[in-house]
Amino acid sequence: MTAGRLASRTSLYAFALLVCVVTAFPVLWMVATSLKTPSEALQSPPVWIPGSPTLEAYGQVGDVIDVGRSFLNSALIATITTAGILVTSLLAGYVFAKYRFRGRNALFALLIATMFLPPIVTLIPLFRIVGQLGIDGSLAGVIVPNLANAFGIFLMRQFIAGVPDELIEAARLDGASELRIVFSIVAPVVLPALAALALFAFVYHWNSYLWPLTVLQGNEDHAPIVLSLARLLTYTGSAQNTPIVMAGATLAVLPPLLLFVVLQRFFVNTMARTGLSG
Amino acid sequence: MLRRSRWLSTVAVGTVCALALAACGGDDDSGGSTGASTGGGGGEQVEISFLTHWAPDQVTKLESVVDAYEQEHPNVSIDVRAVPFADLLTTLRSQAGSDNGPTMAGIYDLWLPELVRDGVVAEAPEAQAAEIQSDWPANLAAAASVDGKVYGFPNEVDLYALNYNTKLFEEAGISEPPATWDELIADAEKLTKRDGGRITQQGFGLISSWAAGTVHPWTSLLYSNGGELIDEAGNPALNTPQALQTFELVENLMSKAKVSDPAMSTADANTTGPYLESFVSGKTAMIIMANWWESALKAGMKDAFDDVATAPIPVGPSGDGPHPVSYSWMTVVSGKADDAEQQAAWDFLDYLNSPESGTDGASAMAELLQSMGILPSRTSDLEAYADELDRPFLKGYTEQLENAKPFPIVLGGQEFTEALQKDLEALQAGQMTAQEAQERAQADAESVLGAAG
Amino acid sequence: MRVARQPLWTAAFLAPSVALIGVFVLVPIGLTLWLSLHEWSTATPFGEASWVGLDNFKALFEGAIVGRDFRQSWRNTFVYAGLSIALILPLSVVLGIIIQRSTIRGRTVLRTVLFATYTIPMIAVAIVWSKLYSPSEGPINEALGWFGIAPQPWLSDTSTALVSLVFLNVWQQLGYFTVLVVAGLTQISPSVFEAAALDGARTLKLHAYVTIPLLRRTLLFCVVIALINAIQVFEPVVAITQGGPVGSTNVLTYHIRQVGIERSQGGLASAMAVMLLLSLMVVVTLVFALARRAEDR
Repeated sequence: MTAGRLASRTSLYAFALLVCVVTAFPVLWMVATSLKTPSEALQSPPVWIPGSPTLEAYGQVGDVIDVGRSFLNSALIATITTAGILVTSLLAGYVFAKYRFRGRNALFALLIATMFLPPIVTLIPLFRIVGQLGIDGSLAGVIVPNLANAFGIFLMRQFIAGVPDELIEAARLDGASELRIVFSIVAPVVLPALAALALFAFVYHWNSYLWPLTVLQGNEDHAPIVLSLARLLTYTGSAQNTPIVMAGATLAVLPPLLLFVVLQRFFVNTMARTGLSG
Repeated sequence: MLRRSRWLSTVAVGTVCALALAACGGDDDSGGSTGASTGGGGGEQVEISFLTHWAPDQVTKLESVVDAYEQEHPNVSIDVRAVPFADLLTTLRSQAGSDNGPTMAGIYDLWLPELVRDGVVAEAPEAQAAEIQSDWPANLAAAASVDGKVYGFPNEVDLYALNYNTKLFEEAGISEPPATWDELIADAEKLTKRDGGRITQQGFGLISSWAAGTVHPWTSLLYSNGGELIDEAGNPALNTPQALQTFELVENLMSKAKVSDPAMSTADANTTGPYLESFVSGKTAMIIMANWWESALKAGMKDAFDDVATAPIPVGPSGDGPHPVSYSWMTVVSGKADDAEQQAAWDFLDYLNSPESGTDGASAMAELLQSMGILPSRTSDLEAYADELDRPFLKGYTEQLENAKPFPIVLGGQEFTEALQKDLEALQAGQMTAQEAQERAQADAESVLGAAG
Repeated sequence: MRVARQPLWTAAFLAPSVALIGVFVLVPIGLTLWLSLHEWSTATPFGEASWVGLDNFKALFEGAIVGRDFRQSWRNTFVYAGLSIALILPLSVVLGIIIQRSTIRGRTVLRTVLFATYTIPMIAVAIVWSKLYSPSEGPINEALGWFGIAPQPWLSDTSTALVSLVFLNVWQQLGYFTVLVVAGLTQISPSVFEAAALDGARTLKLHAYVTIPLLRRTLLFCVVIALINAIQVFEPVVAITQGGPVGSTNVLTYHIRQVGIERSQGGLASAMAVMLLLSLMVVVTLVFALARRAEDR
C-alpha cells in the first residue's frame, strides 16, 4: 500500500468516524441528560456524564403526561393509517397498472400531482371539513384524511406493472375474482414494496405533528406521544427540569428507533429497490 | 401464498373494525349532543367542558372544585381541558367554530372583541350580568364587555412593577430603587458587570420572543411618561414625543449605555426561559414584570427570593407619575353550545366565582388564582385576601392598582401587540434607531387597527 | 401489457382512493384557492366569506406589516431550504460513495447510525438540539471552546438562529438522502467503475466525472424531496423559537398557521398558501429545467 493510499484510507476512516460521532452525539446527550439530577442539568459549563445516574426524571414524566395513553394513541394512528394506505394503494395501483379506461392517465396524473403538496396549503379548509364531518377532536379526524396516499398509489402502480400478466390471466381462467387476484396473486409478488410502504407510512404517521396538533388541540386523551412531548416541554420549561424533558424525549424516540434497528436491513434494502426504479 | 393473502385480508378487515372503533370512541367530548336523559326527575344529562392554560397543579385544584359542584348537580358533568399558554388562543380559535369546542374558556380580555364579532361567545344572562356589574370594580366589568353587554366573569387582574435584586443593589451601593428614567439608567450602569466585551450581569433586563413580555413593560414606561398607545378616537398614538422618548430609552439601554443583553432576554412558549433564569440566578439586577411571576421566582430562587423587592415604574421626563399597564382575564361561554349546555355553564361559573365556593368568603376562583400568586378581581375576594395581598412582594403591585392603566381592548388588539412586539424587538436588537422604530410602529399600528376596523 | 376493461372493478377499487383524495386533498385545494379571494374569519362558516378579489394578494406585496411579515417568512423558508440542500447534497453523495463503493470496515454501522436519525420525531430532535445549543449550559459551545472558538449565540441571535435550525435539519435528514444516493449507486453497473479504473481514473476524478453525472436522476429526486421537506419545517419553530428572535426563524408553515388559525384571518392565510404553492411550482420547474440543461450538455 502506498503512503498516498494509506493516508486517504486513514482520512476516510477519520471522516466516517467523525460523522458517526456527530450523528450519534445528540441522542447520547439526550439519554445522558435524562439520567442527571436537576442541579447537574443547570451546570455551566455542562456536565457530560452524570455523576450518579438516576431514573427519577422518568418517573416525573408520568406526573405531567400520560405516557401509556400517548403511546397507545400513536400506535393507533400509525397502524390504522398505514393499514388504510396499504389497502387503498394496492387496489388503486392495481387499477392504474392493469386496467385500461378512459381518462386513466389524466386521473393518475391528477392524483400523483398531490404528492408534492405541502400540508399547510390545505390545512385550514381541511380542518373545517373535518369539523363539519363531526370527527374533529378525535382520532378519526387524525386518521381518516390520510387513509389514501398519492405516493403509495404511485409506488404500487410502479411495482404492480412488473407483475406478469400471465399470472393474472391464469388466475382469472381459474375463476378467481379480481378482489382475490389483488390480494392473493398480486400482493405477494409486490410484498417488498408493500413492506417498504408500510414501514415508511408507519414512521411518518408516528412522527406526524402538525395535523394531529390542528385536529386534536387541547384534547389530551387522544394526544399521540409527539404532542404529549411538546406539552411536557411547555409545562416543565425551566432549565432545572431539563432531565424530565430529556427523559420524555428518550421515551418518545424509543419505539420508532427500535423498530428501525430491528428492521433496518429491510428498510434500507427495500428503499434501494423502490427508490428510483421506473 | 395463502397465508400471506389471509394476512392482507385480515389487515383490510382490521382496518374497517379499527376505524369503526376509533370513530365511536373518539367523540366522547362531544358538546353538540345533549345525550339521552338519565332517569326521571333531575333533567337531562349535560356534558360541558372548561378550557384553561393553567399548569397541572391548578388543573387538579379546579377538578376538585368541579367534583364539589358535580355532587350538587349530578346531571352535569364537566371536563377540564388544559393546554399550554402558547396554544390557548390557537386552540380556542380552531375549536370555536365547531360543535366539539369547549363550553367555557379562560381568555385574555384582549381577545374578546373578535370572539364577539365572530359570534363565538355568548352574552351573559341577565342575572349573571347584573351580578358582574355590581360585584366587580367598574373598569373590570367594562373590560369584560363589548358595547355595554357583558360576556363573562372577570377572573384575574395583572399589572407591572419594577422588580429588583436588593442584594445586587447593596453590592453596588445603591439604597433606593430608581424613581425616574435618569436614575434608572444611572443605576443600571452601576449594576452592569462585564467580562471583556460580554455582559455577565445586566443592570436592566428587557424581554423578547413573547408578545406581552416585550410590549407590556414598554407600555408601562410609555404610560409613566405621559404617553398613550391609542387615543380617544381609537387611533394609534405612537407618533408623539412621549412615545419617541420611550423608544429612545430602549435604544439607550441596549445600544448606548449597553446595560441590557439581548441574549438574556428571550422567553419561550410557556413564558419561562432565559429572561426568567437570568433574574433568578442574579444575573439581572432590575426588570419590569407582572405580579404573576411570583410563583416562578419563588420556585427558582427559593431562599434568595427574599432579595427581591418591587417598586413603582420609573417615571419619564414627560410623565406625572408611575402608571403601570394592567390587563385582565375572564371566563366566557361558547355561543355555539346549545341552551342546556350554556345554562349549565353559566351556573357553574356563577358557583366558581361566588363567595360560597371557597373558604372564608373567598371564591374558589380566587383560591385558585392566589395559589399561583395571582390577584383575584372580585371585590369580595380582594377583601377576603386583604392580608395575603399585603405581603411585601405583592404590595409593590397592589399599591399601584389605582394608578394602573388598562391595556386598550380593541378589535385587532392581539395583532397590534404582536406588530409592536416585532418593532420593539428590532429596536432591542439594534436593527433600527429609535426614530425608525417609532415611525414603523405607528405605521404598523395604523395598518393593523385600520384593517381590523 | 395486456389490459382489461373491468368497469365495475375499476370503480370499486378506485373509489376509496379517489374519494379520500378528492374530499381531503382536492376539495381543500379548491377551497384554499377560492378563500384566497375572500375575506373570511376561520371561526365562521364558509358562507360568511366576503369577496375581495386580489386584495389579499396585494397586501402580501405591499410595505405594511402584513406584507413584510409574509415576505420575511417566505425568505426564511427558502433560505432554510436552500442552505439545507446545499449541505445535504454534497454530504450525502460523499457518504453514499463511502458506504457503497469504499472498502472500509464499519460501513454498515455508518449507514445505520445515519439512517436512524430519520426515524426520530422532529419534535424530539428540536427539543434536544435546543438544549445542545444553550449558550451557557450546552455542550456545543463547550466543545467549540476546546478548539478555541468563541461561544456562539445560536438560537438567541437573529444572525445565527436560522442557520442553527438548518444544522438541525441536516442532522435529521442526512441519513435518508445518503441511503437514496446508495440506492442510486446500486443502479450503476459495476462495469462502469471497472472500466474507469482501467482507464486510470483516480478516485476523486472518478467520482467527480463518472459517478456524479450518472447519479443525476437520483440527485434531482433528492433536491426535490429535500425542498418539499424543508418547506414543511414546523416543529423547531413552534416548540423552540416561535419565529424569533425578531422573526428570523418565522417560516411559512408557522406563519400561515398563526395568521390563519390564531388570528382567524382565513382569506389572507389562504392567499399566502397559494403564493407558497406557486413558488414551489416555479422552483421545482426551474430545478427540472436546470437538470435537463445539464443533461443536454
